[in-house]
Amino acid sequence: MNHPVWDLPGLGSGWIIGLISILHVSIAHLVVGAGLWLAWMETHAQKNSDAPLGAWLRLRAKGLLWLSSVLGAVTGVGIWVAIGLVNPTATQHLIRAFVMAWAIEWLLFAGEMATLIVLVGAYDRLRPRQRLILTGLYALFAWFSLVVINGIVTFMLSPGTGWSTSHSMWDGFFNATYLPSLLLRTCVAMALGGLWALADGGPPGALLRGQILKRTARFTLAGVLLAIPAGWFYFQSFPTAARELVLGNLRGTTGLAVGFRWALWGLGAYLVPAILVGWAHLAPRSFRPPVALLGLGFACWGFGGFEWIREVARKPFVIRGVMYANGIRVEQVEGFQKEGFLPQNAWARAFAESKGNTDLAKGEAILRSQCLACHTRSGYRGLQGLTATYTEAELIAMIQGIRERDPATNPYLNFMPPFAGTEQEAEWVGKYLNTLKAK
Amino acid sequence: MIPPPIPAPDPLLLPMPPLALKALLLVTFAMHLMAVNVGVGGSLLAGIHVLRGRPEDRDLVRRLAPMLPAAVTFAITLGVAPLLFVQLSYGPFFYTASVLTAVPWLSLLALLLAGYTLLYRFVGSMGTGRSSAGWGIAASLLLLSVGLMLVNVTTLSLRPDLWVAQAATSPHGLHLNRFDPTLWPRFLHMSVGMVAVAGLLLAGWGAWRKEAYARRVGMMWFIVATVSQVAWGTWLLVKQPAPILGLLLDANTLPSLTLWGSIAFGALALFLAIPASQKGAPPRAVWPPLGLGMVSVLGMILLRDQARDASLAAFGFHAASLPHQTDWTSMGVFGLALGTLVVLLVVLVRWGSQAPVEEGEAP
Repeated sequence: MNHPVWDLPGLGSGWIIGLISILHVSIAHLVVGAGLWLAWMETHAQKNSDAPLGAWLRLRAKGLLWLSSVLGAVTGVGIWVAIGLVNPTATQHLIRAFVMAWAIEWLLFAGEMATLIVLVGAYDRLRPRQRLILTGLYALFAWFSLVVINGIVTFMLSPGTGWSTSHSMWDGFFNATYLPSLLLRTCVAMALGGLWALADGGPPGALLRGQILKRTARFTLAGVLLAIPAGWFYFQSFPTAARELVLGNLRGTTGLAVGFRWALWGLGAYLVPAILVGWAHLAPRSFRPPVALLGLGFACWGFGGFEWIREVARKPFVIRGVMYANGIRVEQVEGFQKEGFLPQNAWARAFAESKGNTDLAKGEAILRSQCLACHTRSGYRGLQGLTATYTEAELIAMIQGIRERDPATNPYLNFMPPFAGTEQEAEWVGKYLNTLKAK
Repeated sequence: MIPPPIPAPDPLLLPMPPLALKALLLVTFAMHLMAVNVGVGGSLLAGIHVLRGRPEDRDLVRRLAPMLPAAVTFAITLGVAPLLFVQLSYGPFFYTASVLTAVPWLSLLALLLAGYTLLYRFVGSMGTGRSSAGWGIAASLLLLSVGLMLVNVTTLSLRPDLWVAQAATSPHGLHLNRFDPTLWPRFLHMSVGMVAVAGLLLAGWGAWRKEAYARRVGMMWFIVATVSQVAWGTWLLVKQPAPILGLLLDANTLPSLTLWGSIAFGALALFLAIPASQKGAPPRAVWPPLGLGMVSVLGMILLRDQARDASLAAFGFHAASLPHQTDWTSMGVFGLALGTLVVLLVVLVRWGSQAPVEEGEAP
């Protein structure tokens, strides 16, 4: 890590990204799906000259405005803030690589907001055709923002060899997992957006309510069910090493089995809304909106599980094959192992100097820069617990062992970056790790 | 002196010339700042006018308050772009400062969410006849504190010489930028400026819609806030590090010219605002101070950028000389998207401001 480290004891800084991201990606996908749903329903309302449906849709658009402009926008900024704090080096690399994609996505979001504000604020002044165009444009803007962001997210999992040599944005953007991921995310968006619409229960009036619930249920069901083949297609497009890592975790061969169990339960939970929306379709009169909220909860759990698996599949990288989770680029490792990490990292050096430049201070400084992106000292993925049975000599040997850059001799490489420092620096880290036992 | 621990810049090349990036940064920042002035400054004025409780105040706020959440929405949306461009050009400084004050920086999200929600509540209460000034004032104070967090990171990013001390006293990123004396005067200068610009825009709206009361109170806010800048502005000036202060006081430098030019435009706007704020003044009297005031704000935005480059140049960093390789394809797609958006915005404004469908008129 090239920058100072945000040392967050106990919880670890990675959780901050996790919490904000789950909230943001759920809202962001929900908004995309709800946009598509709104355009579809508006078309239906106008085709049938259904004024009460139109009036009800306006209220849904108002809810959507609040959801996307307040929660969506703030948590979107939140992800930026969080990734910049937790892994500034990787964030800077991604911004350098994809600034124009982000700039284009920003234009799309501005268009999304402007369209929705006019749709809601000037609803009574808009002609029906204008309303139809605006709902269509809103759906298009929202979906296209997914089209753009999907390129950056999938790049992190499968940047491809083309980008590594050209560093051209579009080589990284249209990568191996791009299309399958886009299909899957569109399905998830439809499911979340549909469940959000169902949660309102529709306007009063039995006929209208039944009609809306039935149509919305079909929309949602399509999202839930199509996500299954799209998910399979997506998984098949993973780089081999990433697929092996996921399958290895499923077999319980790594320390991530508990998280994987939760994620797998979540993938199962994602299918529960299929039953719930089936109810809305078959017996709309007896359908109760809180059921849709429950379905939304299950779907978000499933989506969270999927995102977690996708994140794990990237390990030990933050950008597969390019940059490790601790912000060290793959091509830097050899240099750090030969010339030393401390001489080339100003912040680690500054930390060691502030603590007297002892062996322990230097060990702690290197550990902060190379390990705290994923571990804490004694909390989440705590090093204290993970190394409790090791002696000092064993700890030093272990850290020196993970300097190996060949997976055949360093099995940790499947999910943990190699130690990027000299043998002497590994010894300092081992000594520091040993002191954690007494704390 | 030990050199400050400035992280190495990212090895990937910039996708466009640094000057183009700078232009994008300044344009989007100016747009963001205008939306902030309307949304945050306007919320504060609205809260105070509701608190005042006179019928004309309530009527004014009832008519203008619905614009406030939309202005905050645009402020957030427009704020993302300069945040992106600043990270691109000044990444090593920006990220370091944000990590060193991580908790206040992250708290920006909670403050923004709370302020935004309260603002919606305030605006919603205006239609119910039970309007509460408290919601409006609380919302604007929360939104202003978001500004404090931004100023906090910005000021720290300009002072690499303070980073090690900040890191030593705040290892978990809990504290504000406590070693830089420019933090509070800069925040106050910015906050009061926000009130002044919101007042100017309110006066402009009053002149446009022939609303004499809005025009007069808008001008009054501008006058009071701008006069008080003598205190905040001077405080900010004298607290600048010696090399920057020297640069600003030396008549032969560009930053000095920008500073004193902006002050001159502001002073002229103030001078013309006094007659424009009088009861019998014609609405057109608002336009000269409004125009001059805006020029002054734009000058201050330029000055802010010049002072940043001068501060960082002292540490060997020159944004203008960052290596780049122009990515024409991406720039083309961006230009196309931008052009489409501009056309769309024009259409949206026309549709949003058209008259409602008359009865009997074909839709």
